[in-house]
Amino acid sequence: MPRRTPAPAATLSLLVLALAACGPPQVTSGLAEEDDLTGTLRVWLFDEADRGPKEEVVNRAVAEFEAQYEDVEVDVSYLQVDARSERFTGAFNDPASAPDVAEFGNTDLAAYVEANGFADLTEALATWPEAQDLLPSVLDTATVDGRVYGLPWYTGARALYYRTDVFDELGLAPPRTLTELRDTARRIRAARPELYGIAVGGNYHYALMPFLWAAGGGLAEQRDGTWRATVDSPESRAGVDLFSSLLAPDICPPEQCAMLTGTQSVQVFASGAAAMTIGGDFNRAAVDAGEAAGRYAVVPLPGTEPGTIAPAFAGGNLLGVLGSSRRSTLAREFVQLLGGKEYQREMYAAMGNLPTFADLQRDLADEDPAVRPFVETLRAGTRFVPPTPAWARIDAQAVLPTMVQRVATGESVDSATADAADAMNVAFGS
Amino acid sequence: MSTAAPGHRRRRLLARPGRTLAEVLTLLIALVVAFPLYWMVLSAVKHPGEIQSSAPRPWTTAPTWDNFRRVLQVEGLGGYLLNSVVVALAVVVLSLFLSFLAAVALTRFRFRGRTVLAVMLLVAQMVPVEALTIPLFFLMRSVGGVVPQLGLNHLGSLVLVHLAFSLPFAIWMLRGFVAAVPRELEEAATLDGASRFRFTWQVLFPLVAPGLVAMSVLSFIHAWNDFLFARTFIISATENQTLPMAILVFFSPEGNDWGAIMAGSTLLTIPVLVFFVLVQRHLVSGLAGAVKG
Amino acid sequence: MRVPATTTAPGDARPPGGGAPRRRRHRSSDLRIALLYLAPAGLVLAAMLAYPLYQLGVISLFDYGQAQASGGAPLDFVGLDNYARLLGEPRFWTVLVQTCVFAAVCVVGSLAVGIGLAVLASRVRVVPRMALFLAALGAWATPAVAGSTVWLFLFDQDFGLVNEVLAGIGLAGMENFSWTYDRYVAFGLVAAQVVWCSFPFVMITVYAGIRSIPADVLEAAALDGASPWRTLRGVIIPMLRGLLVVATIQSIIWDFKVFTQIYVMTNGGGVAGRNLVLNVYAYQEAFAASNYGLGAAIGVVMTGILLLITLGYLRAQRGTEES
Repeated sequence: MPRRTPAPAATLSLLVLALAACGPPQVTSGLAEEDDLTGTLRVWLFDEADRGPKEEVVNRAVAEFEAQYEDVEVDVSYLQVDARSERFTGAFNDPASAPDVAEFGNTDLAAYVEANGFADLTEALATWPEAQDLLPSVLDTATVDGRVYGLPWYTGARALYYRTDVFDELGLAPPRTLTELRDTARRIRAARPELYGIAVGGNYHYALMPFLWAAGGGLAEQRDGTWRATVDSPESRAGVDLFSSLLAPDICPPEQCAMLTGTQSVQVFASGAAAMTIGGDFNRAAVDAGEAAGRYAVVPLPGTEPGTIAPAFAGGNLLGVLGSSRRSTLAREFVQLLGGKEYQREMYAAMGNLPTFADLQRDLADEDPAVRPFVETLRAGTRFVPPTPAWARIDAQAVLPTMVQRVATGESVDSATADAADAMNVAFGS
Repeated sequence: MSTAAPGHRRRRLLARPGRTLAEVLTLLIALVVAFPLYWMVLSAVKHPGEIQSSAPRPWTTAPTWDNFRRVLQVEGLGGYLLNSVVVALAVVVLSLFLSFLAAVALTRFRFRGRTVLAVMLLVAQMVPVEALTIPLFFLMRSVGGVVPQLGLNHLGSLVLVHLAFSLPFAIWMLRGFVAAVPRELEEAATLDGASRFRFTWQVLFPLVAPGLVAMSVLSFIHAWNDFLFARTFIISATENQTLPMAILVFFSPEGNDWGAIMAGSTLLTIPVLVFFVLVQRHLVSGLAGAVKG
Repeated sequence: MRVPATTTAPGDARPPGGGAPRRRRHRSSDLRIALLYLAPAGLVLAAMLAYPLYQLGVISLFDYGQAQASGGAPLDFVGLDNYARLLGEPRFWTVLVQTCVFAAVCVVGSLAVGIGLAVLASRVRVVPRMALFLAALGAWATPAVAGSTVWLFLFDQDFGLVNEVLAGIGLAGMENFSWTYDRYVAFGLVAAQVVWCSFPFVMITVYAGIRSIPADVLEAAALDGASPWRTLRGVIIPMLRGLLVVATIQSIIWDFKVFTQIYVMTNGGGVAGRNLVLNVYAYQEAFAASNYGLGAAIGVVMTGILLLITLGYLRAQRGTEES
């Protein structure tokens, strides 16, 4: 704080001069050149509300790794998912604090890569035999501009949950197309007005996306290196229209549903207030803890034609090597160990995380009927959000929820999708 | 005019029925204000399925300690608690003295630029904190290069940043309290030959006590409840995290564990109430009590 | 806490004009002592606030995101582009108006409740007063996320106690009433929550202020037969004017920057963003996607607007004081 205060005009001119003279702070050190084969390997994994089982598996992997490499110690710390953005930002801005290996969500990938955060693993995976069995659509979620920056550690997909008791009572069968899904939901609410036909929400864009993709539409396309929004294409509009029509008084009234998020939608279903919802394999525990426990079944979300499955959004987490790591060889080895088939199988047993290897998934579907609809969905082919850092902005600006909510509150599909496309194109352009 | 026992007179200010009515009203309002708190504690002892049940009851028949147990089992919780206490108390004590001195300088002395400084104090509070985190991060990184204990990953960085954010408010608020002390007191003290310094500490400081207490409660709450800087500055040294970070683990993309979050928030709120009970005597005594002598 | 008990009541021991010459003689040393007193706080503030503020200004002139900060992309000086982009956005202006109205309601609410309860507290015995203070402190100390969530639980359309009670006393239409759907109802609910957690500050400072008013003054008012309302308007408010100005400005600053309550209670800004306020808008537009350049510009603009409002308020205060 200045002790003596010059006149405002002088302050202003001083300020402008100073601003022109130097720029904002920037990390200058580029990628690390060293590659130590000894020392401490620092690993960040996501914390879980019940971390015990995860920690046990990880500790086994660490013990195996430390036995394999002398003079190497693996230091695992667990970071809260909710604090991840600040922690990763901190790691990128202060390489001294950064780990060597980190778990991260696949939707964060493009922004992290743009920030120079993660090392290119394309060559490492090409020479690693297990990589052959990675599901291509899941590997796509780890790829930016043709380069792979992470090993998919587990994946997840959403499918259709429905109440078996309600369907039996009303003599209904699970819907075979998305249009049938809407009609079924309507019939249920007409017969049982205390129930929502299906619980989905305006803030649940992962439930919206399959409707877009199934209708042949999409979010955006890359042409000549630039992304263009396609949510306003005729096919996409049909998908938006169909999804938004679920947020209507005769299915899921907008007063109640326009703002629901994914977890809230599942919560409504779990509490017994809805006949259907769209939920992931990771939501089963929540549903089993509620009123709907033991009275529900899951099928893949149908597509537009009977017998098809709507493409699902491929969520999941990756394991990557930080660009600033001074132990990149060790880090890559550790990623391949923890993310390999053996420990993915163990992680499934411990946490229920779906593996990313095609053969492992097949085995699981045979062993456990409860995961079958999710595995079927994954095998039918999943899709992903545009792998560009602009997506983080589009996501933060709630472009898709705003679009759906505008339609649900009475605006035309054409204008809502056109505005959404404009907002997306602005983000892509910058 | 006699100053003997003003407390007794004050009590007689309201006639008895009027006072009883006012006291009943006060208690009712206290109940209404406390009800959301009660609901927080109640949610903390409810079973997971009961927190959002279609038949909400303002009581529970089967209280459970499971939520508290989950919070208390968070690894390193004791260390987090200690860190929080250290940071909050350091901020309270430092800001108490620094802000008092600055407030005295800004109100009892006349010099050029006084008003500008006062306005700067306001401007400092108007900037959205999120906007400042990036410059502060790089500043802390540089500070850490000189004094590691005050840099990233250390508690010192949290003390510094909370101090900086509570000072403008504390100084700004104390100005009113210091200015409210009659000038005549100062004249009397000067005539008595007391030095300016002694006057400041022996006369002004106790007189401003109510303001200092109210202000320290606020700096305490501010430092105690902070999530933002704890997660921005403590990157790799997880042992230096503070208590609110322990609750963050119960926020998850697959659904928040509200029972544990409510239990954790209950545990976070208790120390502030304890702190308040400890200082409330001074709050209530205040100037009226001090001048009774 | 022992002070010579000579000079409590105004007009009691005022030496008629005697102090002025003496004070003038002290003037030269005043500046030195003042600087000495200011130095510790000034140092902290210069390093930890003024310098980062300056950098905020610099950042707002650059295309500066996470990629630039961590050295993944070169710096790009864009001049006032960030500002132009912000001010050219029609939604920014809608959100700005919304924020001002919302903050005004919260400020008036916090002040009215806080002052009213402070007066009430000064007239009751210690037990009810402590009960009120403890409850208020609890509301104040509750972490914002937890407080907002508890309010949401209470007002939940399906699982909330409030709707159940309202339906129970015969308001059938309230059974599944959504408190967060309609723009104004949602703003009202959030405002109530904000008042709940911000009136304690006003109440406690004003209460401390009332206690600092010499008992004799209040007593004289009571002997004159003044009603509580007249005492408040005629004695307390004029005597605590400085304090109230401070409390008002603080409330303006805090309520203008409300974030958590809106973010949590309206799920990030309400249906189609119709409950957005500036700070949530800034988060969505800039910080969530690490667009720090734009975020810094929003920060500068917000600070400017707040400064205008506050200075306007101060000027108005000075005007009424003089007239």
